[in-house]
Amino acid sequence: MESKTSRFMRKNMAAFMTIVAFMSLLLVWELVARFTNAGMFLPPASEIISKFVESFTVPIGKHRMLVHIGVSLYRVGVAFIFATIAGIFLGVSMGYSKTVEAIIKPIFEFIRPIPPLAWIPMSILWFGLGDQSKFFIIFLGCFCFITVNTYDGTKNVDHVLLGAARMLGASERQVFFRVVLPSSIPYIFAGLQIAITAGWSAVVGAEMVRSDEGVGWLIVMGMTNGNTVQIMVGMLAIGIVGYILATAMAKLEGRLCIWNQQQGI
Amino acid sequence: MEDKREIKVKVMNLTKQFDELLVLDDISFDVKKGEFLCIVGPTGCGKTTFLNSLTKLYQPTKGEILINNEPVDLKKHSIAYIFQEYSTMPWLTVEENIRFGLSIKHMPKELADQKVEEYLEVVGLTKYRKYYPDQLSASMLQRVVIARAFATEPELLLMDEPYGQLDIELRFKLEDELLNLWKRNGTTVIFITHNIEEAVYLGERILVLTNKPTKIKTEIKNDLPRPRDIVSEDFVNLRNEVTDLIKWW
Amino acid sequence: MESAAGNIADVLKCSHISKEFDSFDGTGKNLVLEDIDFSVKDNEFLVLFGPGQCGKTTLLNILAGLESPTKGEVVDHGKKVTAPAPERGVVYQKTALFPWLTVMGNVEFGPKVRGFKKEERKKIADHYIDLVGLKGFEKSYPSQLSGGMRQRVGIARAYSNNPSLMLMDEPFGHLDAQTRYMMEEELQRIWQKEKRAVVFVTNNIEEALFLADRIILMTNCPSKIKKEYIIDLPHPRSYVDPEFLRLRREITENMDKSM
Repeated sequence: MESKTSRFMRKNMAAFMTIVAFMSLLLVWELVARFTNAGMFLPPASEIISKFVESFTVPIGKHRMLVHIGVSLYRVGVAFIFATIAGIFLGVSMGYSKTVEAIIKPIFEFIRPIPPLAWIPMSILWFGLGDQSKFFIIFLGCFCFITVNTYDGTKNVDHVLLGAARMLGASERQVFFRVVLPSSIPYIFAGLQIAITAGWSAVVGAEMVRSDEGVGWLIVMGMTNGNTVQIMVGMLAIGIVGYILATAMAKLEGRLCIWNQQQGI
Repeated sequence: MEDKREIKVKVMNLTKQFDELLVLDDISFDVKKGEFLCIVGPTGCGKTTFLNSLTKLYQPTKGEILINNEPVDLKKHSIAYIFQEYSTMPWLTVEENIRFGLSIKHMPKELADQKVEEYLEVVGLTKYRKYYPDQLSASMLQRVVIARAFATEPELLLMDEPYGQLDIELRFKLEDELLNLWKRNGTTVIFITHNIEEAVYLGERILVLTNKPTKIKTEIKNDLPRPRDIVSEDFVNLRNEVTDLIKWW
Repeated sequence: MESAAGNIADVLKCSHISKEFDSFDGTGKNLVLEDIDFSVKDNEFLVLFGPGQCGKTTLLNILAGLESPTKGEVVDHGKKVTAPAPERGVVYQKTALFPWLTVMGNVEFGPKVRGFKKEERKKIADHYIDLVGLKGFEKSYPSQLSGGMRQRVGIARAYSNNPSLMLMDEPFGHLDAQTRYMMEEELQRIWQKEKRAVVFVTNNIEEALFLADRIILMTNCPSKIKKEYIIDLPHPRSYVDPEFLRLRREITENMDKSM
């Protein structure tokens, strides 16, 4: 019989390892930055962390950190909502209708490999320097993932389930809304999860287009001024918020797709 | 009649606990060399845990398993498994699948070639040697798996309901082939199944398990003459006896 | 129309059905069903029994209206079958439950898509959930149920449209031997309570003999009808009754050898 403490140890082993790994990374970083020549290009971890903490009370540029994060989140949020609506609509249409698939898919596949950053000049031309062009770039960063996953989901509906619904008297419209759509939801969520992370990553590129705030702006501005600490504070903020977003999305999926968890007796 | 064969496998006080849940409760039994032992239990008994503990896939919480009086060591003892799922490698042909087990055991090429020929012949798949698994029927796949297992001439063969998905006629056919191979090679076999008729048809001895936490309920000697007749009164009586011991439905 | 005529007591009439598929390499045709001709009587439990995997599921799909035959036709209550319809309920081998719906959601799916009001369909679903012995599990999802319980949901769902014919495609094929015996007894109990005409496909002779009023023995590829057996053993049947075992041996010996 194992004791209570050893069981506690075993269960928390993974968390423990993660903490140790993080601590070691920070320690090595700190030592390298302070005691080698690399310090010229790499500010010490402690300096970045203290600057990061400080930025919540002392503004960088015109704003404090929460405002920067808030503004970026707002941009990503708006773009993400549009991308979700458009992506699900397009993905479902391509998956369900052979005609739409034939018309749209080649064009889509052609546009897909173009990175969002490549669109910056054109988006400035089309949407100007305001928030709209930022929405557009982030939108492009999310949209493809949602479309592709939704499309896969609708394509992969189990044919036996379609037959079962028809045998029970469902009309084609009911088959679509009651079988095709729900059975695609796990795919759609997988897409949303990749997309929110991708959209959040695209924020740096989007905020390269003239702006006075946002976590991307922190980096772009730090680059202009040669302020490595500010660059890395921006990176840290992006990393932390990205992690929180991904986790929240996974939690939401767990809530909405209880049925998708395999827990047979 | 006393079984005078030497002890091949000795299971002592095998216990497995997952957190608060006791799954295997102090199981002890012996298997004689060359014996065909069947194990049956009610649905949901710790059959899989039992098997995984026997093969050391799980570390048992308590207890010891000895083969030839030594603790089980997968590097030293050759143990073969056959599961209900067809564990053929889809990218290998029939003949390559049979060779697979031999090359893992570093058998010299000439000897391996000879074994492959021999066992292709024994299971009647010589004609299909170049076929890939997806070109074969379920029963042929299971023959490939059997040939692969027997070709390595294992000290112990563990079978977990290998014929569960086959129709009855094929099942009897494959069971007869299995019995022939068992007699021919003198292999020690532990055969786990939910199917009582199958257990009575195959085994020299039947170990009956209880529901979780799994214990050995009783042990039944089965010396009905072979080939066994599933319609005979003795067979039906024994089948009823075992059924009564585990019936939950 | 000649096909519309037929015995009044016949629920379903299957006339000279053949089915060909294009072979995998596209060069020829594979005949899987050849001249299948039989009818199902009212409240009859008919078992289609045969070796291997060939043709039986295709035949059931044709009876359901999910596939169309190459030759011949299926007539249900005098109407030619061309599409799926709620008068024919299906129980699938892999249950085909909607994983995103609870037990209740699955069972009331049929009445719901057919426009029944909330209270009505709940009453129907409650009745059949109770019939199959799943009271208390209404809110569970299929992934939380054992194999036997999932099949019970499948049976309740098929009953929910009150079909005159039930088509069952090896519903217990994936269950272990003991759960299978239990489900066979359960199905027998349910069917005695709410009789319907049933076409039940299986390759398990014990199951066939335990359930059937009549067994149609099919050949291996292409599937043809080989022989018919009327099974009039009294219910509840025993798997080890001498007459049961004798029939089992006789039918097994008449069965095509499969490889």
